[in-house]
Amino acid sequence: MAILEVENLKTHYYIGDKPVYAVDDVSFTIDRNETLGLAGESGCGKTTTAYSILRILPANGKIVEGSVKLDGEDLVTKSMEEMRKIRWKKASIVFQYAMNAFNPVLRIGRQIVEVIQEKEGGSEQAAALTVAGLFEEVGLEPSRIDDYPHEFSGGMLQRAIIAQALSCDPRLIIADEPVTALDVIVQNKILDLLRKLQAKYNLAVLFITHDLSVVAENCTQVGIMYAGNLMELGSATSVFKESLHPYTYKLIGAFPSVTGPKRRLEFIPGTPPNLMKPPPGCTFHPRCPYAQDICSKELPKFEEISNGHYARCHFAGQLEFGGEE
Amino acid sequence: MASSKPILEVKNLKKWFPVRSGFFSFFGEQRYVKAVDDVSFEVPEGGSICIVGESGCGKTTLARTILRLVEPTGGEVYFEGENIYDKTRGELAELRLQMQLIFQNPFEVLDPRLTIETLVGEGLHIHNLEEDPQVVRERVFKALEAVRLVPARNFASRYTHELSGGQLQRVAIARSLIFEPKLVIADEPVSMLDASIRTEVMNLMTDLQKDFGHTYIFITHDLAQARYIGDFCIVMYLGRIAEMGPMETVILDPIHPYTKALVSNIPVPDPTEQRDRIFLEGETPTPIDLPEGCRFKPRCQAYSDTYCKPEEPNLIEVSPGHWVACYAP
Repeated sequence: MAILEVENLKTHYYIGDKPVYAVDDVSFTIDRNETLGLAGESGCGKTTTAYSILRILPANGKIVEGSVKLDGEDLVTKSMEEMRKIRWKKASIVFQYAMNAFNPVLRIGRQIVEVIQEKEGGSEQAAALTVAGLFEEVGLEPSRIDDYPHEFSGGMLQRAIIAQALSCDPRLIIADEPVTALDVIVQNKILDLLRKLQAKYNLAVLFITHDLSVVAENCTQVGIMYAGNLMELGSATSVFKESLHPYTYKLIGAFPSVTGPKRRLEFIPGTPPNLMKPPPGCTFHPRCPYAQDICSKELPKFEEISNGHYARCHFAGQLEFGGEE
Repeated sequence: MASSKPILEVKNLKKWFPVRSGFFSFFGEQRYVKAVDDVSFEVPEGGSICIVGESGCGKTTLARTILRLVEPTGGEVYFEGENIYDKTRGELAELRLQMQLIFQNPFEVLDPRLTIETLVGEGLHIHNLEEDPQVVRERVFKALEAVRLVPARNFASRYTHELSGGQLQRVAIARSLIFEPKLVIADEPVSMLDASIRTEVMNLMTDLQKDFGHTYIFITHDLAQARYIGDFCIVMYLGRIAEMGPMETVILDPIHPYTKALVSNIPVPDPTEQRDRIFLEGETPTPIDLPEGCRFKPRCQAYSDTYCKPEEPNLIEVSPGHWVACYAP
């Protein structure tokens, strides 16, 4: 059984009483030891999806519909008090900016000890011992437990955050752009570490990023979001090699590569829509080169086109995209 | 495309920032952050070169020193044969019209209280190049059309919040191009932009070069991006050039162990591609207490006592136009 099941999730933000359709009908599941990469451009709703799962939305954000099941338990209907017990213990999150995630005036070890004591109880000494073990696990010197955040480099802070995320033995880790602020060499070390820990603890990982190259190399499953909708979902190979949605295909074509012959980079004319007034029908139709009449009238369904490969497009499976590679 | 005459020559350029290290610095020697440490290269007229490297390698300081936004610790920069460090303030102001800088974040560069027309045209007033408002307007419209913000009339009256990130970066480009500069230095010009828009701006910048004939220096941390925007690549490590050469040669056939590691770590948008990663020990150190000799030595996997000499390696031309600062064969 899947660890995380998100079904028809709709999360809107309210500006006054006007809704912003930030996440509109998103469904996916993540199994143990599986990494789902949720990718898309800024404002496509990927972070809102993550925040909806843990119910850490800002005050004007609301889950209007759908369910989020973690180990079969629906999180949407839980009270805030119940959610407090679930966060860190069952599902934890690694944020993008490691440098902002720790309180700069408290020792790093102390801050992780705090989480453990709050969630698991036990003595401070026992918690400190756990932290030392975790530090070793993520490749940090246990002796640096008493350092302040400014004494750590960006990569080390990211490791410390991962240690914190693991501290209460969660089943699911949500990694929101975990390596975006890091240089490539450090980035790969952190990703490598995440992969090792995932295998060791059988974690389900929801990996959020705007960088398709990182998704391609690190995720078994891939979901592509655009304007609040999940446009395509499937195994990494099928999404990258047999893209069903024109947006996916175009977006992959926009990413430069350092290997192989230099090909022409694609771009998508236009800009993503204003989510307060999303276009009628398919949200991508104003920028889609394959759009037909129906695309501006009817919102396509999110359907399984081939085994485990879903897309939200009226013409999914019928389009021929140039056929390179 | 590039003729051989260099528009810019950088010779032994150094920029060291002194470090204050508390009370004991009184007794000890003054220490420096050697942000740019003896860098020399040439930029051919009409070329487009990329300076790449990780954060802290000195690429932005290099650009700022070339423009003399900070004074160098040593070395010379010749722009069209004239040393810019010999110039007076007035001469420099004039020269800077020929050398424009484009920044990473257009949101921070463009004043939200001004219209696009004012933003693009204000330089002409500031430098007393044009008085006639009608002519200024025409030149603004021409610049906006050049960066494909059409119809220019519609964009000219708008404010920054009405434009998307990609459009704003194009306004920033128009603002530089209105002077018809000979050299444009762009510091991470597309890093802020989303992938689907990034290529559009990259292609635009390449097309503009064909129309205006200026020379580009791009500064980026992303080698994959660099590959699509430049024809010559300079890889920096801790303030020095590790390797430089034609773009495709450096990316597909790197020689310096650092370049090799860097290229091997760049993710590729293809899940079926298996690549061998070169993992480097530790993280990039700060350029304060540099090791003796080769500064990459502590992390280098090709290091060997037999051929690595105790002095700092100099750039050696290994094939025409391809320079590497490494002793390893």
